[in-house]
Amino acid sequence: MFSSSQFEPNSAFSGGGFMSSQPSQAYESSSSTAKNREFQGLVPVTVKQITECFQSSGEKSGLVINGISLTNVSLVGLVCDKDVSKVTEVRFTLDDGTGRIDCKRWVNETFDAREMESVRDGTYVRVNGHLKTFQGKTQLLVFSVRPIMDFNEVTFHYIECIHFYSQNSESQGQQVGDVTQSVNTTFQGGSNTNQPTPLNPVVSSQNNDGNGRKNLDDMILDYLKQPACTARQQGIHIDEIAQQLKVPKNKLEGVVQSLEGDGLIYSTIDEYHFKHVEL
Amino acid sequence: MDTSSPAAFVNGALLRRYIGQKVRAVIQVIRSDIGSVIGKSTDDQQIVVKGSPNPPLTTYIEVIGIAETENTIRAEVWTNFGDSFDAQNYNELCKLANGEFRHLFI
Repeated sequence: MFSSSQFEPNSAFSGGGFMSSQPSQAYESSSSTAKNREFQGLVPVTVKQITECFQSSGEKSGLVINGISLTNVSLVGLVCDKDVSKVTEVRFTLDDGTGRIDCKRWVNETFDAREMESVRDGTYVRVNGHLKTFQGKTQLLVFSVRPIMDFNEVTFHYIECIHFYSQNSESQGQQVGDVTQSVNTTFQGGSNTNQPTPLNPVVSSQNNDGNGRKNLDDMILDYLKQPACTARQQGIHIDEIAQQLKVPKNKLEGVVQSLEGDGLIYSTIDEYHFKHVEL
Repeated sequence: MDTSSPAAFVNGALLRRYIGQKVRAVIQVIRSDIGSVIGKSTDDQQIVVKGSPNPPLTTYIEVIGIAETENTIRAEVWTNFGDSFDAQNYNELCKLANGEFRHLFI
């Protein structure tokens, strides 16, 4: 069900009526540098991402997320303020929970009119469209609006946004990888008594006021908050926390669970690796 | 564009972090009373949703509204999410959207 709604819009691209996107793409690809990778397909995004990249890239026509210039985007959200006062266009606002964006659908053919009839205020839809800035206002020129029938697609869309984002932040990933390696080697190489400097002060300063569990909470959090730990993408293994804080693992497990329940830390690659939730 | 009032994805455990703020949650309906719905969050905690939805409700509903306490939401928008919805996936999304990838959402 998802895949059909994902790929059908391709036919809409090649069809008439969207001339605006074709010339701009041709222009961009001829003038772009190797640094700005082109992505011609539909990019799943949230409204928040669009807002942020407009703030960072200014009013330039090219929209860039993670170094990839976007032309066509796919969003999922609730329709509101649908306005059919004009014959040739339908305007509405799409609210995807991260923000709202103005959308415009040209109504040329009966097909367009029919598709827009099924869309009302409060309907969950998947929208595919082309981002345009006109007189300082960002607008989504929409070429397909489809009501969502299976609501797993809502979950799917946001996961896809995360996936696309993390897949394309590889330059950051490399950095993190390097840090991970260096931290790992120092950790494995060092003995308990002779640890690399950044990791120890937290432990000794906190150990003194022996205030049971509350204190352990903070110790774990402080440990995970260290830059050396936050930089490690796969998180910190519970054994490492136990070794570093010199606390038995079985004592840690309950505390880690309650921290996770409180949403202060989260498990990463498996149930033993944890990261601090950055606010 | 307006990102001034985002709705945070929450499960039962995350709800307490957003008291007084706008949240969105998928709830499995246990029973409907007058003026409220009792349900289960995607991490199996009991949630009371205040407000009056338009019946009939499906097994899963999404509510968007203000978090009043650590287990009540005053809902403004109700959407039927059908009878077969993968709550576990949604629950994992809640964690991601409040953790590592929070900046994509709120």
